[in-house]
Amino acid sequence: MIVTIYATVITLQSLWGWYKMLAGSDRYIGLIRRYMVVHGLRLRFKAFWGDVVICLLLCVVFLIILYAHQIINDIDAKLNNHARPDPRRIV
Amino acid sequence: MAPGSSSTSSPADPPAEQKLLPGAVDAPPREVVAGATPPRQMSDLPKDELEHLAEEFGLDPTRFKTRQQLVSAIHDRRQMIAGMEREAMLDVIRWGRRPVTRNASKEQIAQEIARIRTMKFAGLSQRGLLVLARLRGIVALEADPIPLLVKKLKKQESFFAKMSRKRRSMIASVVANLIGAEESAADYQFLPSPTASGQASSMKQEIEEAGLIGGITNRLKKTADSYVNQKLDEIEARIDRKLDEIDRRLADWRDKEIANRIRILKITLWASVIVGFFSLLYSYVKVYFVK
Repeated sequence: MIVTIYATVITLQSLWGWYKMLAGSDRYIGLIRRYMVVHGLRLRFKAFWGDVVICLLLCVVFLIILYAHQIINDIDAKLNNHARPDPRRIV
Repeated sequence: MAPGSSSTSSPADPPAEQKLLPGAVDAPPREVVAGATPPRQMSDLPKDELEHLAEEFGLDPTRFKTRQQLVSAIHDRRQMIAGMEREAMLDVIRWGRRPVTRNASKEQIAQEIARIRTMKFAGLSQRGLLVLARLRGIVALEADPIPLLVKKLKKQESFFAKMSRKRRSMIASVVANLIGAEESAADYQFLPSPTASGQASSMKQEIEEAGLIGGITNRLKKTADSYVNQKLDEIEARIDRKLDEIDRRLADWRDKEIANRIRILKITLWASVIVGFFSLLYSYVKVYFVK
């Protein structure tokens, strides 16, 4: 959880930094922005679209495993509650 | 080294003292001739230019694994072009309606022929078909009849090339119908030659107008200008090719870089999923069996 939050914050910080830099009105920044857009449009997805699909599927699997963890933790908590004796009954 | 002495001696300076081997004849000193730089060899050309040259001569540079093979293939192709009949080559140019001057060299004509991609051979003479077949890398004999040459040319075309040609043909007919373009039936005409006979009279006029020296100077200037322009065009074409090459390499590098990053991400995700699966297994065992 901590690592996820840390990674998310770092990624968002980086993206925000890039956005702020590329949103500038300077002539050369505009040039870089257009250059990046052109390169983005000229990307040949055929070279790596298979890996992208695998990554998406792995993300789905990862989320399912995370969900399964939560279910098992929930079952564990319920079993613990069920096994613990009620203090009022002992008295 | 002593002060004032030079580390290199000029070849034109006569040696102060000549040391000879015992028994050698004391020959008179010979004149030293300055070495001339040899013209640039084909094998000295950069790889991309060699490939471009090969493509211009109708060769597929990807078929040659080593640089030496490519150079050899270009050399063979040039020799083959030199041995071709000029009129036969002009037959192909007329049939393909390519822009060529009448006095173009055989190599220029061959380069234009190499750009002809059509597979409709109607109207082309036997000798023209022979030239076309040889420039497309087909083994053809002088005595081969037209149907056999056409068959060989059609056989040489790959299935995918044929399919894409059919597709282009279909699109072309649709576009032609939409625009209403009609095929020009006018006779083929060669491009006007830059050294046409009109220039001789212009030199005569120049000498008449500006005198002998002035006329010749003007003529020399024009010749020099045209030479410089031609060289500048060549340099520009080379720079354009280099820029295209840089752009292509940059695009390759970009695609490879992104593919590598995604591969790293995939490996990380696999590791996370495997660790997550073992963690799940451990939790399951802990909850259901250990307790």
